[in-house]
Amino acid sequence: MAVLELINVTGGYTRKPVIRDLNFTIGQGELVGLIGLNGAGKSTTIKHIIGTLIPQQGEIKINGITLKEDIDNYRSSFSYIPETPVLYDELTLKEHLELTGMAYGLDEKTMKERASRLLSEFRMEKRLNWFPSHFSKGMRQKVMIMCAFLVNPHLYIIDEPFVGLDPLGIQSLLDQMDEKKREGASVLMSTHILSTAEKHCDRIILLHDGRVRAQGTMNDLRRAFNMPNATLDDLYIAMTKEQDNE
Amino acid sequence: MNSLSQIWSKRFTHYLTEVQKYMRFVFTGHLAIVLVFVFGAVGYNYSEWLKVVESSFPAEWLVAVIIGAILAFSRPITLLKEPDQVYLLPLETKMDYYFKKALQWTFFSQIGLVAVAYIVGIPLLNEVTELSSGQIWLGLGIVAVLKYLNVQIEFNFRYALRGKWVLIDRLIRIVLSILAIQTALTENLLFTVIYLVIFIVYNLIWKKSVNDQPIPYEHFVKLEQNRMMAFYRFANYFTDVPHLRGAIRRRAWLNFMYSLVPYTKTNTQGYLVFHTFIRTDDHFYLWVRLTAISALIAAFVNLPVVILIVAAALSFATTIQLKYALLSSKEFRMDMLFPVDPSLRTKAVHKLIRTFVFLQAIIVLICSIGDSLFYLPPLLILIVSELTFYLSKNPNNR
Repeated sequence: MAVLELINVTGGYTRKPVIRDLNFTIGQGELVGLIGLNGAGKSTTIKHIIGTLIPQQGEIKINGITLKEDIDNYRSSFSYIPETPVLYDELTLKEHLELTGMAYGLDEKTMKERASRLLSEFRMEKRLNWFPSHFSKGMRQKVMIMCAFLVNPHLYIIDEPFVGLDPLGIQSLLDQMDEKKREGASVLMSTHILSTAEKHCDRIILLHDGRVRAQGTMNDLRRAFNMPNATLDDLYIAMTKEQDNE
Repeated sequence: MNSLSQIWSKRFTHYLTEVQKYMRFVFTGHLAIVLVFVFGAVGYNYSEWLKVVESSFPAEWLVAVIIGAILAFSRPITLLKEPDQVYLLPLETKMDYYFKKALQWTFFSQIGLVAVAYIVGIPLLNEVTELSSGQIWLGLGIVAVLKYLNVQIEFNFRYALRGKWVLIDRLIRIVLSILAIQTALTENLLFTVIYLVIFIVYNLIWKKSVNDQPIPYEHFVKLEQNRMMAFYRFANYFTDVPHLRGAIRRRAWLNFMYSLVPYTKTNTQGYLVFHTFIRTDDHFYLWVRLTAISALIAAFVNLPVVILIVAAALSFATTIQLKYALLSSKEFRMDMLFPVDPSLRTKAVHKLIRTFVFLQAIIVLICSIGDSLFYLPPLLILIVSELTFYLSKNPNNR
């Protein structure tokens, strides 16, 4: 069964839709890249999946359940890392982890074990009692990442994760994603860093003007564009040009 | 040169309108009335005291110390903004003109305070000392010169050391200013001149080191931001300042309060709300202020009706303001995605308000002990708070 399923999803902020008739699924253990230009509808798609926007038409299911059917179950099935870190100015790093653990019903022991592993992986042990105002952009991003991985959900939704992270941070994130994938979790990741997406994603969804332009493995995409040996960069540029000519 | 003078005058006009916009609220608010009473009472007591003051009273020292301390606080008002460190960079060598304007404004906007303080001291000097009125007015002239030097030095010092060691400089200037004023008021004008010369030399030292340094934009911008923040925070007591984000303090001494929200899933929102309330200055000091007023009235006013009305009104204000502050949600927060019952937030806020209104009631109870109906105000506080919470609408349900 698909972990995430979008069926004919149309939606946006106002009555004029930003995304139209989206159809795609993510299977268990899959890492799927959501690729598109600025304004293509990546973030809007993600907002619909996490439930801050409600689709005007169509359905979104996580593990076969829509948000309406069982809100608690739906919400505890995924964790989300936003593009811009959203932290509580009044909570320290340690308290962010505690709060997340409480919200997702982890017992205190599990929370502490997982937290200490993540803290050393992301080299943040010494900053446990710091407030976010003393964190750099990359550190703030790391707090979000640690909170997301602390939950250990079925599905990770990650919006533009590599901006602001240092190379070690990027590597730690990729390692974590690989590990979770091996354990059977799925990841939906939107990004502009195409070389990384090409290297790590099992499948790619190309979004353009709010529609799915193409999706599949790299080989599927090469076939669809009739460009053997092309990189994702080549395909991406080809797609935007094709669109301009229409 | 021309463009810099335009930049300065534009900023200056903008700054004045911004300050006026909020000062209007400050002076039409309850503060104006309070100030009139406070000044009246202080002035009356001062004039009564002048009738009995002994001639051995060290008036010269008192005036010198007070004026000297005020003089030392001569923070430059540069009106620099964050983008300046990029956009004004090509004009670095021409900034002299801009800073000259800035320091002029600094001088004229701050001279009033010292002048008023000195003038308030004049009746005391007349009463206690043998100074002629000419000598007293000469003192005022010297204070003005000192103010000018203080403004120049503080700017040059901060410029030269990029904001470090400011306290030491301030200490040096306090001592020199006090000595200069004291000698002027005790007719040792030769010493006054010597101290002024030391001041001028001290200024020249720093001025010289300014010339071969780049502008410390970071420090001056920070200084500006702090000043405007302080102003906005002050104005926020009287009206709503939109772009103000409350400062955060750890307040570790209140950590024991978090034991009310131990680690369980149902306490998720409680954990968050308690931390938010205790650590956000805006929320926490709101409670402190309203509780303090209620307690002071209970302690020092002897009219039971007044105590009851004030206690009820402040309990209502505490409850409604905290409810709105903690429940309205305009921005996205991560807890909006948490897999917990959405009604937990309201329950958590209710628990927090109950806890702190209970503390308010206890404090008022302690302050009204000795009154015959001492238990009534605390009881009223609790009842009004509960009613307010239930009967007011939830800011999230539009």
